Amino acid sequence: VDEFKRLVDELDPLLHEPGRMAIVSALAAGGRMTFTDLRDALTMTDGNLSIHLQKLEKKGYVAIDKQFVGRRPQTRCQLTRAGRTAFTRYLDHLEAIVRQGRAQERA
Amino acid sequence: MDPNQAARNLEVIRTLMERTTRYQLLTAHAGLAAGCLAGTGALLFVFLDPANPRHFAAVWGLVFAGSLLATAVGTLMRGRETGEKVWSRPARAVVGALAPALAAAAVFTVFFFSRGMHLWLPGVWMLCYGQGALATSAYAPTAIRWLGLLMLLAAPVTLALGPQWSIALMGVVFGLGHVGLGVLLLITERQQTPRLHRSVA
Repeated sequence: VDEFKRLVDELDPLLHEPGRMAIVSALAAGGRMTFTDLRDALTMTDGNLSIHLQKLEKKGYVAIDKQFVGRRPQTRCQLTRAGRTAFTRYLDHLEAIVRQGRAQERA
Repeated sequence: MDPNQAARNLEVIRTLMERTTRYQLLTAHAGLAAGCLAGTGALLFVFLDPANPRHFAAVWGLVFAGSLLATAVGTLMRGRETGEKVWSRPARAVVGALAPALAAAAVFTVFFFSRGMHLWLPGVWMLCYGQGALATSAYAPTAIRWLGLLMLLAAPVTLALGPQWSIALMGVVFGLGHVGLGVLLLITERQQTPRLHRSVA
């Protein structure tokens, strides 16, 4: 039970929020993505996505760069090394929780 | 968080990662329609002369146009139904991967027609289709990979058997291949649930 509680407590709270978990999952698979592609893939609103991205950028999980394509501004996002490591750790934790739960069921 | 919730989260993450890289708007109905059209096209040559370039061009031109139309309509309807953008990042990747094979097929079609060798085209089309389908396999549903492999295996057989068998093989390979694709996509579609939208919203 202690091990189970420890695993749950150690879950990264920033990534545990569904919206941010979705953003990080998409960026982990898609590499560098534009704001528009990310928004369309996740069916999020501009405002919602923007707020989550700011939080992830502040923590150093996502790098955001802005550039002009022709005359149009384009925002591109990608996971940083820290973001990828945190995401991998988060997945490991979820898997460990599932394993722990199954072990408890068997016991 | 309980283990069941953790398992659900992992499933949502996997779906999200697939959704970002996979083209999901290809519909089972489009595959079934293309298969039926190809089969019907081949059967029409019971009454038409395959050696006649006009008959050959008219039938396969209509099959191609009909399949394209079914795919376009199916994609638009699926996009509207799921609220997904039709010209999405995966869609652009799929079109980019398909373009060289389509261009090669177009060049070979003109080349073989201009030399009166159009009955060799089914084997050539299978080669191009197989190459194109495999080129999209990183983004497209898994069933497409199997269809691509089937085409690549059937192409040398069709070319080896020669023009007298090309129409029959075109009907069997394109017809049954697409029907098989449609059935596999239908099974996949039935298995999918709208959990993802609820989880992210």
